[in-house]
Amino acid sequence: MPPGGRIPAASGMRPGGCVIPGVGLPSGDAALCGTDVLPVLPALRELLPGGLQRGSVVAAGDCSLLCLVLAAGASIAGGWCAIAGLPDLGVVAAADAGLDPGRLLLIADPGEGWPQVVASLLDGCELVLLRPPARPSAQVRRRLEAVARRHGGVLVVAGDWDGAQCRLIVARQEWTGIGSGHGRLRARLVQVVADGRGAAARPRARWLWLPGPDGAVAVVATGIGGLGIGGLAGRDGETGGVASPWRGMSAG
Amino acid sequence: MSKARGAPRRVLAVWCPDWSPDVPDAGPEARAFEQVVAAVAEFCPRVEVVRPGICAIGAGGPARYFGGEEALARKITDAVAALGIVCRAGVADGLFAAQLAARAPPRDPAGASAGTGTPGVIVTPGVIVTPGATPAFLAPYPVSVLGVPVLADLLPRLGIRTLGDFARLPVADAANRFGVPGARAHRLARGLDPRPLTPRQPSADLSVHIDFDPPAGQAEPVVFAAKALAGRMQAGLAARGLACVRVQVQATCADGRDITRLWRHDGLLSALAVAERVRWQLDSWRASQDAGRSDPERSGPGMRDPGEASPAGGIIRLRLVPDQLVRDEGRQLGLWGDAVISDRVARAATRVQAMLGHEAVMRPVLAGGRDPAEQVTLVPFGDSRAPLLPAGRPWPGRIPAPAPATVYPVPLAARVTDDAGDAVTVTGRAEASAPPARLSAGGGPWLTVTAWAGPWPVSERWWAAASARRRARFQLVTGDGNAWLAAVQDGRWLIEASYDLTVDATASC
Repeated sequence: MPPGGRIPAASGMRPGGCVIPGVGLPSGDAALCGTDVLPVLPALRELLPGGLQRGSVVAAGDCSLLCLVLAAGASIAGGWCAIAGLPDLGVVAAADAGLDPGRLLLIADPGEGWPQVVASLLDGCELVLLRPPARPSAQVRRRLEAVARRHGGVLVVAGDWDGAQCRLIVARQEWTGIGSGHGRLRARLVQVVADGRGAAARPRARWLWLPGPDGAVAVVATGIGGLGIGGLAGRDGETGGVASPWRGMSAG
Repeated sequence: MSKARGAPRRVLAVWCPDWSPDVPDAGPEARAFEQVVAAVAEFCPRVEVVRPGICAIGAGGPARYFGGEEALARKITDAVAALGIVCRAGVADGLFAAQLAARAPPRDPAGASAGTGTPGVIVTPGVIVTPGATPAFLAPYPVSVLGVPVLADLLPRLGIRTLGDFARLPVADAANRFGVPGARAHRLARGLDPRPLTPRQPSADLSVHIDFDPPAGQAEPVVFAAKALAGRMQAGLAARGLACVRVQVQATCADGRDITRLWRHDGLLSALAVAERVRWQLDSWRASQDAGRSDPERSGPGMRDPGEASPAGGIIRLRLVPDQLVRDEGRQLGLWGDAVISDRVARAATRVQAMLGHEAVMRPVLAGGRDPAEQVTLVPFGDSRAPLLPAGRPWPGRIPAPAPATVYPVPLAARVTDDAGDAVTVTGRAEASAPPARLSAGGGPWLTVTAWAGPWPVSERWWAAASARRRARFQLVTGDGNAWLAAVQDGRWLIEASYDLTVDATASC
């Protein structure tokens, strides 16, 4: 864990910009108006101090769940999210991550003219999650970055994006709760590494529950060693019979 | 016969008991009813078919001509009986009462009980309710005849069991308490018409169009004209008290091609908003034309003629057709619950729809179901639709949390082998033949299975042969750190979902 990881929550934040609203907070555009950062979930605060800068591009690597979690903070705060180019997206997983399905637009196939589609979406939505159908040329990249800056939207790219302000990748991951023929998938430990330009230049790595045993994203408190994946798996092995999803032949 | 203004007109309803109420509107039985309609049309050409089995005519004029309502009813029943069809005719104020009069229980034809019934009711082959006696005729009927299920359930619990009781409620109170359907039902109970009888006649053409001569090469004049055109269309609809659910924008090019697209309207779009949609439609069409032309031309030395603004020779006609006409009852946004879509989001989504089509922008609605793929219903932006499977039910056997982040709409074919390289099978007693050791998803590379759980058998909808399904599910974790939701169906392995798929892996799949 790099020493820079323990950034106090208040430093590097703009007033009002990084209030991490709980699920119960009133939602609506008003909550996001007049701020120049979009909030992120509390678990990601150390990786992205200050939240997602409006007008920026964030590359979130190949992990689709990480992309969804990045978008969740803005959605909980009342923003609209559009997801383009991910036809196989699991909407239930998105909803579990915190995205409000009522404020979600899905464009499964943005087609040949995807830069124009993304530009239109950035005009209307706070956050656009995009998997580019093709590797964008430098010209397209610059144009979309300019559109994002103009409208104050955040473009989260599932994949890589040259010139992204911030880049997050999953370095290691391990599923827990499942053994050899017993238990079931319960939680996953991932090591997320964030780096970027400017203030975010220093790489930061954090172990996260993505998702945690209760379905939420959380920071692993004491690192992986203290937790003991084997111990968790053993516990699940005991309860596996009870919690098995199979509860008798279903009829209906 | 002078008639007070606004009083319901006399209606003669013909009821044929041979047609049951649940006959669909289109079908052989419905078409067979046409002969009855034709027989009735001999007496009065404007026949309204309420549903197969019941039709109605305005009784005022024909009754004067044929010598009274009773004579008219007798002539019509005789004419229909000549076809070999049993029928009864009833006359009353308004369509609703006339239908009930036609179906009223037959009294003794000798007239023994004729005088003892409700005053003002003359017994014929059917029942004729004299003008003004309709409320008294309706009063003893139970409220369920109104055909409003909510009221049929609610009113008796409030102690209102008959139409007479309901009609005694003050009009304003009925409307306040029961809303628009209640107010309509209250009018019926008082013997008034909820709506005037609408004779079958060719519906008026409410579409509007404008011709461009010479053809409009640029989008601007078309969009400008569209604004005025939309205003005309809305004025025409408003004059008839109608609103349209969708509006079809049809632009005809000089070379005969049509650019047609349906836009959601819901009576909400201003003339300016309709014009804006015309612009998007033309822009996206032009963009697609340019994209189609650019490839062969870019390779050649000659660039496109800059003076040629429109690829198809310009627009010669713009036509707006209101689609799905409904009675305009105004619109009230819900105080709570409805997610209000801001103009900004709606504009962005509609622009993308203009580029890619209506079905390209979806909003998810969480549904019920056991499969990850079933648990979401996608609804095109601007439409409203209920989920296919109801959410909020237990759905025993559903896949437990965490939900997979990648769900394949069509499961990927997969191969799973054990240590020895033999395919893993599942017995009828839901036991795996051997522990899965290696997985190849969708023809991808072989991955080592590091952990697994299952099989969890699911047998769904066994009562419906078409959608019946038996699967045994597994969760597999592979050496690359990914976790998969796999299933065995009919001896074949399928990958239904991936808990977190990397982009590279999809590319290889």
